[in-house]
Amino acid sequence: MLNWISRFPRRLKKGADPFVIGGYFFSIFYAALIIIPLYFVIVSAFKDNSQIILKPLALPAVLNFSKFIQAQVNVHVLRAGLISIFITSGAEALTIVLAFPASYAVARIQTRLSPIVESIFSLGFLIPGLAILMPIYMMTAKAGLLYHPIALVILYPAFNLPMTMILLSGFMRKLPRELEESAVIDGGNVLQIIFYLFLPICIPGIVTVLVLNFINIWNEYLFALILMDSNNRTIQLALALLRANQRTIDYGLIAAGVLISMIPVYIVFIFFQEQIMHGMLAGAVKE
Amino acid sequence: MIRSVKTIFIEKKNISTSKYIRRNAKRRRVTFLSLVAPALVWFLSFMLWPLLNMFFISTTSWNALNMPKKFIFLDNFVRMFSDPKIAISLRNTGTYLLVGILGVIPFAFMLGFFLSLRKPGYRILRTIFFSPSMLSVAALAMIFLGIYRPDGMLNSFLTAIGFDATNRVWLMNKSTALFCLIAIDIWGGIGFNSVLFFAALASLPEELYEAAMLDGAGYWKILWKIAFPLMLDFIGIVTVLQFLGILSGAAYMILLTNGGPGNATFTLGFYLYDQAFRSHRLGYSQAIGVLLFFIGIVAIVLIRRIASRLSNY
Repeated sequence: MLNWISRFPRRLKKGADPFVIGGYFFSIFYAALIIIPLYFVIVSAFKDNSQIILKPLALPAVLNFSKFIQAQVNVHVLRAGLISIFITSGAEALTIVLAFPASYAVARIQTRLSPIVESIFSLGFLIPGLAILMPIYMMTAKAGLLYHPIALVILYPAFNLPMTMILLSGFMRKLPRELEESAVIDGGNVLQIIFYLFLPICIPGIVTVLVLNFINIWNEYLFALILMDSNNRTIQLALALLRANQRTIDYGLIAAGVLISMIPVYIVFIFFQEQIMHGMLAGAVKE
Repeated sequence: MIRSVKTIFIEKKNISTSKYIRRNAKRRRVTFLSLVAPALVWFLSFMLWPLLNMFFISTTSWNALNMPKKFIFLDNFVRMFSDPKIAISLRNTGTYLLVGILGVIPFAFMLGFFLSLRKPGYRILRTIFFSPSMLSVAALAMIFLGIYRPDGMLNSFLTAIGFDATNRVWLMNKSTALFCLIAIDIWGGIGFNSVLFFAALASLPEELYEAAMLDGAGYWKILWKIAFPLMLDFIGIVTVLQFLGILSGAAYMILLTNGGPGNATFTLGFYLYDQAFRSHRLGYSQAIGVLLFFIGIVAIVLIRRIASRLSNY
């Protein structure tokens, strides 16, 4: 799955090439541009506000956790985190339950319907989230699910289905034909083939999909903003609210909020970096 | 006699096998549909149905959820032509797209090419380049709030290197606000797309480069004479993704500027949001949604066509 990295020649040419020197220069310059703001936010979370302004890049003199406590007091970050965990795990599970059998059908059952279904799902890439925000708000209100986390558990799988289907069915297409044949001879039906044969084999593909969907769902802002209220804030809403609560900006507080909201995603990123990059590339190519 | 029996036999066999195949195909189709149905129903009801609803609502005058809607056909679209805010949002969106695409794609392509040479350290650079893509829009907005605010990092940096920048209000200045928001997209966008380019370039056959190296071509020449033409289709795809992302973005405006100062950061996406959820002109907001949708479709077709035309040269 990850062999696309190793196919490229390690070195093309020896010696100091001006192109390579320039490449390093710009790469390191850009890397610094990325790291400095991230570093700035992380250290700001542990400092008081005068330090943030006077010495933005200095390490905190003492580790001050008061901003995290204040974030909890002001916007109930813990509660928001739990709601986000609930929504994310519910939506993740539902996405796989919906997408896995469908991906199997698209990838492994030969009918003329298969390309039609695939093109219906790929329409999803053309639909701007903003454009369907209002109709979805109305649907949710009509269903009586407005301001209820269940609404997002139901909606997020729909948004993530196109990408999930592309990645999972792409994964399944690469598996050898003989796989089902042996099972059919043994007398297994389709559901047995899917659950006992394909599910275990497709674990790497499922992991990639789970990781990508986790990032999307955990980070989603716009629909949560419209569909949730102050009792059911997701972590992203709580984060944005840290600013709105007071007239002057308490940047240390905001930084603590940013840090809390991004920690889960960065933990996943550290462990599944290759899967994330590969999955995003596969999605882009198939678009 | 014997012959005719034989043909009859063959015909019979043919009929039975084709019947068998047909029955089998039908059974396969039933299995296929029952496996696809849940996902399809989900997708149709929460993606396509809302999209259709957008078109319905865009033909109505409707001022609050609990008020009756009135069918006015294309009046909302006619009104757009005389709405100065549409003109302003179109111009801002155009600027956003132009700067946001030209500020990202060329740099991302060159950095991606450099990464694909797999010089020492490329792995750690790749990780760093990719890391901003893990941030949510809310986190990005809040990080950059700390940079742009009057006593934020940007002003203290400018003061440190000798500029008198103590009172520069980046997000509340008409001439800088829009570019400050675009800069957030560029900041993370270069890195994300460079990793996409890296991965795409890594799939090119290496003989291609080796042949060029033997001919004495340097990296710069390989970049533009070999990698660039081969990647044109992919560059088209990446440009489309970038375009759609910017076009349907409203989060930074919601989180940071509220479309202001004045109308300086009023984009089409933010105008849609503003009309739908603040001014409660639901019909008009969905008309903007229709406009947004068609701009996206036209852009996809145009960009892909340009990319494929260029790559045919």
